[in-house]
Amino acid sequence: MGEDTDTRKINHSFLRDHSYVTEADIISTVEFNHTGELLATGDKGGRVVIFQREPESKNAPHSQGEYDVYSTFQSHEPEFDYLKSLEIEEKINKIKWLPQQNAAHSLLSTNDKTIKLWKITERDKRPEGYNLKDEEGKLKDLSTVTSLQVPVLKPMDLMVEVSPRRVFANGHTYHINSISVNSDCETYMSADDLRINLWHLAITDRSFNIVDIKPANMEDLTEVITASEFHPHHCNLFVYSSSKGSLRLCDMRAAALCDKHSKLFEEPEDPSNRSFFSEIISSVSDVKFSHSGRYMLTRDYLTVKVWDLNMEARPIETYQVHDYLRSKLCSLYENDCIFDKFECAWNGSDSVIMTGAYNNFFRMFDRNTKRDVTLEASRESSKPRAVLKPRRVCVGGKRRRDDISVDSLDFTKKILHTAWHPAENIIAIAATNNLYIFQDKVNSEMH
Amino acid sequence: MEFKLEAHRIVSISLGKIYNSRVQRGGIKLHKNLLVSLVLRSARQVYLSDPCPSLYLAGPAGSRGAAGVGGGPAGGPAPGSSPLKKPRRNSEEQPGGAAAAEEEMETGNVANLISIFGSSFSGLLRKSPGGGREEAEGEESGPEAAEPGQICCDKPVLRDINPWSTAIVAF
Repeated sequence: MGEDTDTRKINHSFLRDHSYVTEADIISTVEFNHTGELLATGDKGGRVVIFQREPESKNAPHSQGEYDVYSTFQSHEPEFDYLKSLEIEEKINKIKWLPQQNAAHSLLSTNDKTIKLWKITERDKRPEGYNLKDEEGKLKDLSTVTSLQVPVLKPMDLMVEVSPRRVFANGHTYHINSISVNSDCETYMSADDLRINLWHLAITDRSFNIVDIKPANMEDLTEVITASEFHPHHCNLFVYSSSKGSLRLCDMRAAALCDKHSKLFEEPEDPSNRSFFSEIISSVSDVKFSHSGRYMLTRDYLTVKVWDLNMEARPIETYQVHDYLRSKLCSLYENDCIFDKFECAWNGSDSVIMTGAYNNFFRMFDRNTKRDVTLEASRESSKPRAVLKPRRVCVGGKRRRDDISVDSLDFTKKILHTAWHPAENIIAIAATNNLYIFQDKVNSEMH
Repeated sequence: MEFKLEAHRIVSISLGKIYNSRVQRGGIKLHKNLLVSLVLRSARQVYLSDPCPSLYLAGPAGSRGAAGVGGGPAGGPAPGSSPLKKPRRNSEEQPGGAAAAEEEMETGNVANLISIFGSSFSGLLRKSPGGGREEAEGEESGPEAAEPGQICCDKPVLRDINPWSTAIVAF
């Protein structure tokens, strides 16, 4: 495997604009590891590309902590389920890093059906001077061996090796939408539309089913699981979101099958907003615990909401991402955009939340100052080391010079996947097949 | 009247989506199809509860069904067979037929299509969540209580044809 100068480049310099996008290159997930040193991306072609942050060096002040390709490997291949005559897509749905326990790094990557554990190791030394073998590894003529020599480790060019250590297959009938590593570092869970399974990282031939919402009669199906996550500190707690917009917090100590929730977080629907598409836009596409473990962040089609674990009746904060789309829901239903699943992210101190939108815009909301900003991830507007200019979508009324009107938004340019460095103000934005990494140099410390 | 037209349009679009989901790579996406079916249900309720005269006449029981969904070729379907299964067979036999089938879906007997799908959603209607949503649709609760499928077609015959549930169960 090794390193591979990939077709996908980090936007550090102005690149030739490709007018078409190979579908396999579309980034489908982005995830920082626990230190932020590594950034993993998965794409529709089943590949994983890992970027590593270069250590800051005084000699080259311009390349302070920039991310370069560290490793590329093919995680999943397309498969065919002969029993159901269905093709299983190789698209990587989620990547989650395991906490680092030794020199090697490990991550879980999953497509619709199979989760794999990958181990990433570095090799920067190799043994030289074998007693019985020559330079190419062939056995020496024994008559020429007159003395004993012991092999010595000599430095070599860094080689990154990736190997699949576990394959967790056949656990899911429906499409896997999320995986989450438990804080106990021994187990993890995987969720599909109707079930959630608990796995042990070392055991691949069985898993425990901990949530099952499949009705006895599929005709009675009214909601599906859309995302799930373990609590960051309490290894017995996890949350899962549903297509109806509710969150269920479950305690694994209560029962083996956690169909009964411990807490149900649900906001009553606003009857004045009712439309044909109310159910679709209330479906939660992503749920993330805050780093503190006190709050949860959810994303539905038009808003992001912050929930307090202690209050089930309604979210404590609601932020409008692109409310101007509310009157366009029918068109967005026709072109399938209404089904887009946007992700959301917390910053390291849980003071700012971020999520993507259309036209390669992404939004950040400061929970303390209540200020928000819209930024754009595109080659035209972000030369290296340039400061991102806030953008504005005008919805009628006074229009400023650089405003974009709602009708000129490009709905094919959507930012579904974003990630925030666990400690610093560095964000990774996936815009179709391009990865943008933005760093806040001025305010590097967290507020 | 515009509500009826809008609802009709949404029903057509939704049916097209359900059809397309059968042939797309990766298999049926349960989540998306569930959401589409919810939209279909809402549109159907509006369509049927709108006091304007129906856009299409409900034909006699024998002539509806496959003609609306499956498209012309390959003769009539076996009795009780799922209309949704037909497009897949058709698309295998005649790739060009798929486009024709879609067109026919949009211009065919929409009222009957609504009833066909409507009977499969009887579960959705009966088991509506106790709280706000169903009650909020104040004026539509009347027809809802009266099994709207009955308005257009024979109820007992409809029970045999559950294309949506067949699609879900097969998945």
